[in-house]
Amino acid sequence: MEKFRANLMLCAGTGCVASGTMKVKKALQEELRKRDLDEEIKIVLTGCNGYCAEGPVMAVYPDEVFYQKLTVEDIPKLVEEHFLKGRPYQKLMFKEPEKKTAIPMMKDIPFFKHQVLRVLRNKGLIDPEKIEEYIARDGYQAAAKALTQMTVEEIIKVVKDSGLRGRGGAGFPTGLKWEFASKVKSDVKFMLCNGDEGDPGAFMDRSVMEADPHSVIEGMIIGAKAIGAHHGYIYVRAEYPLAVKRLQIAIDQATEAGLLGKNILDTGFDFELEIYQGAGAFVCGEETALMRSIEGKRGMPRPRPPFPAHKGLWDKPSVLNNVETLAQIAPIIINGSEWYRSLGTEKSTGTKVFALTGAVNNVGLVEVPMGIPLRTIIYDIGGGIRKGRKYKSVQLGGPSGGCIPESLLDTPVTYEDIVATGAIVGSGGMVVMDDNTCMVGTAKFFLEFTADESCGKCTPCRVGTKILLDILTDITEGRGKEGDIETLQDLGRDIITTSLCGLGQTAPNPVLTTIKYFREEYESHIKDKWCKAGVCRNLVTFWIDEKLCKGCGACLRACPSKAIVGEKKKPHKIIQELCVHCRTCYETCKFKSIRILPAGYESGPSELVEVTATEGETTKGEA
Amino acid sequence: MAEAAKILVVDDEIIVIKSAERVLSAEGYHVEGALSGREAILKMEQNNYNLVLTDLKMPEVDGITLIRWMKKSKPDIGIVIITGYPSQDTIKEALELGIIDYVPKPFTPAALVDVTQRALEWVKGKVYVEEKPKEEFPPSMLNELDRIIKEYKNKPGCLIPVLQRAQEIVGYLPPIVQKRISKGLNIPTAEVHSVVSFYSFFTMKPRGDHNIRVCLGTACYVKGIEGVLSKIREALKIDIGETTENRKFSLEGVRCLGACGLAPVMVIDQETYGAMTQKKALDVISQYEPTILKSTASEEIEEEIAEKEG
Repeated sequence: MEKFRANLMLCAGTGCVASGTMKVKKALQEELRKRDLDEEIKIVLTGCNGYCAEGPVMAVYPDEVFYQKLTVEDIPKLVEEHFLKGRPYQKLMFKEPEKKTAIPMMKDIPFFKHQVLRVLRNKGLIDPEKIEEYIARDGYQAAAKALTQMTVEEIIKVVKDSGLRGRGGAGFPTGLKWEFASKVKSDVKFMLCNGDEGDPGAFMDRSVMEADPHSVIEGMIIGAKAIGAHHGYIYVRAEYPLAVKRLQIAIDQATEAGLLGKNILDTGFDFELEIYQGAGAFVCGEETALMRSIEGKRGMPRPRPPFPAHKGLWDKPSVLNNVETLAQIAPIIINGSEWYRSLGTEKSTGTKVFALTGAVNNVGLVEVPMGIPLRTIIYDIGGGIRKGRKYKSVQLGGPSGGCIPESLLDTPVTYEDIVATGAIVGSGGMVVMDDNTCMVGTAKFFLEFTADESCGKCTPCRVGTKILLDILTDITEGRGKEGDIETLQDLGRDIITTSLCGLGQTAPNPVLTTIKYFREEYESHIKDKWCKAGVCRNLVTFWIDEKLCKGCGACLRACPSKAIVGEKKKPHKIIQELCVHCRTCYETCKFKSIRILPAGYESGPSELVEVTATEGETTKGEA
Repeated sequence: MAEAAKILVVDDEIIVIKSAERVLSAEGYHVEGALSGREAILKMEQNNYNLVLTDLKMPEVDGITLIRWMKKSKPDIGIVIITGYPSQDTIKEALELGIIDYVPKPFTPAALVDVTQRALEWVKGKVYVEEKPKEEFPPSMLNELDRIIKEYKNKPGCLIPVLQRAQEIVGYLPPIVQKRISKGLNIPTAEVHSVVSFYSFFTMKPRGDHNIRVCLGTACYVKGIEGVLSKIREALKIDIGETTENRKFSLEGVRCLGACGLAPVMVIDQETYGAMTQKKALDVISQYEPTILKSTASEEIEEEIAEKEG
């Protein structure tokens, strides 16, 4: 093997590629060649590093120096400084928001510091398109151990004892699922992987499939042995073309290496694996619907029992595990259940990957031990709220989940504690919202989604979500009336109790949790015709506070409907008749002089109403 | 935005015209009235209308005569009749002459709006159907399709993969392609269609040369994708699910693209564009088609410059 002085692990996940990884790679290659370093320094394209917001990112090994926001223009200087002169290049390093001091080492950056990597163990360290690199990081050892040294009972026992629960959302114990299917007698069984990551705001499965496809395959081989399946499918969304490509490469390489197919590792065990591309239906994340879909039909759920462990795909016993769950398997087999339980809580063991997005400073993929408080994730790893704004809520679990308010930020992240708040851990989407977000509008956003994605089988879900959406639309457009909140709650509960699958059973959660924690916001929409976040256009009047306005003219130029008048250095005024309530002025003003008042408010704001203006600094963070 | 549809209401009772005018102009239509068939003909000769709502029983030139005249002289205008005496015969006669619909008198505002909307859509649809090119595909395309059908045939669960491949080849799944697949795989056409209509990935409408997919996921929502989307809609003059007239672009809203770190995100063909703003989105689109956005884009840039100066 050739030896290199340094390895440049350049992230080629979807996020970084969109930010320009390929151009940066070309520039790096050229620059290294120019300086005769191309035989000493190797560029490796890795899977998603997780720190997507600062992409393209690159880690330099063995120094472990981390560079972010790479641009083609910076490359010559970077190569000269770091690889010729041996001085890490400060300009492209992570900087702490307040102190502006550069932090060179990846392990010292707050975003990475609090994480514990198990599922993402190979993140940014291997080229996902090369099986040798996975094997070099102890890959397929667990599969070998499970196939050659362990009995079916032993495999199931270690997974059961580890306390691992399904990471797709519901949190069903994985070992138990395997045990059920294992005990059913049948000549044909199926081992399935759910890569139909549908929750908006979640992308951890995509990252795992793109960055470490072999870890999923290895988990499936072990699972197949445990339940006695010889055929498997990975169901992947068609929206994830890169994941499909890398999984296919991985399957081909594993087959070539004798790790898939007939007589794996000479143990006599056969396991064939195929990719099945989904066609865009949220409900196909539900296990019975997913199986219908693989059968080539409309992906509609069916009542359980019979459970898939008895009658699943083509009525044969089947086990469906989520991508992240499967990626947890190999380390459990190698290190044992005690090791796995050493992190997390009694009932929620191990680690969970979250996709942290929305109004936080550090957006990306984070893996943390179960049981750590939400606050740690949002403030320590996520670096707090963007632009110094105020935290309002965090949305967990996508359209099936709920919004958690500030008062519950110390809730530990476990399946039980999160359910107690009304949200769910779900697949791990974590969207942080600041005070610019209208909670009624957020509930409406999710209901638009579920009403659209309801497969139509159960009337309460099909019609009920539509009615919920209509009421929410009325409220956000100023037609809300007394009693609407109660109707939403009653109907929501009815939909939950009378729907067949997880989609309907959880669809009202966003509405119910926002009512539970932000009821006053609903009330002010309905009674005062006032959207305090200034989002619902019909429920707001914008005023300029003359005391605060410096007459800088920024709002006047930004206003798309030319509704703002005023002379330089003198307080400006909004002509209400022309105002289209687009919020542009509110976001433009640096002096917080734009006030958000109830619809139809007519006199000046001076004597007025407590307004939820921003308290943080607008100058901080990115401009 | 399209110009407001122009509607002519013909009735010998002023109250009917007045109330129709009140209801329909509130919906954004441009409404005029005529108190007799004669006046209506006069007006139609001078102005263009999209739709005529007419009474049947009127002195002198009655409704049926008016409809006959229109079918001869103004065949493009849609006709809806309003009548207090919907006897089978008159309706039948009018239907034979080619009216779109009728509203019985007295009518509720909702019923009138409903019928008007449908009639206007029909008028629009008729024009669209005529413009639509015939669904014919080159033999090479069909051969390729048949080859795929043959490759997958007898494989359990093959319908979805075949449809996916077919859509890659043809670009969309019109009825004739669905029928060919149904025949080839020996699956009922109804079942093929039920699958096509269930999954959002499949489309029965032709797509533009470039497919713009805007992410409607939560992270993108929180970071303002709605503004970006409305800007794109405005610039391309199409809504989600539509294709521009010149078949250059089609616009699609998709559930999460899984690139939340870059929110708000859109994808054009296979290329992902992150951290979109209204202006950036237009810039990106104009890379694909410089002329289409010229007017809007230059305005934006001017504003940008003004902002920088300030």
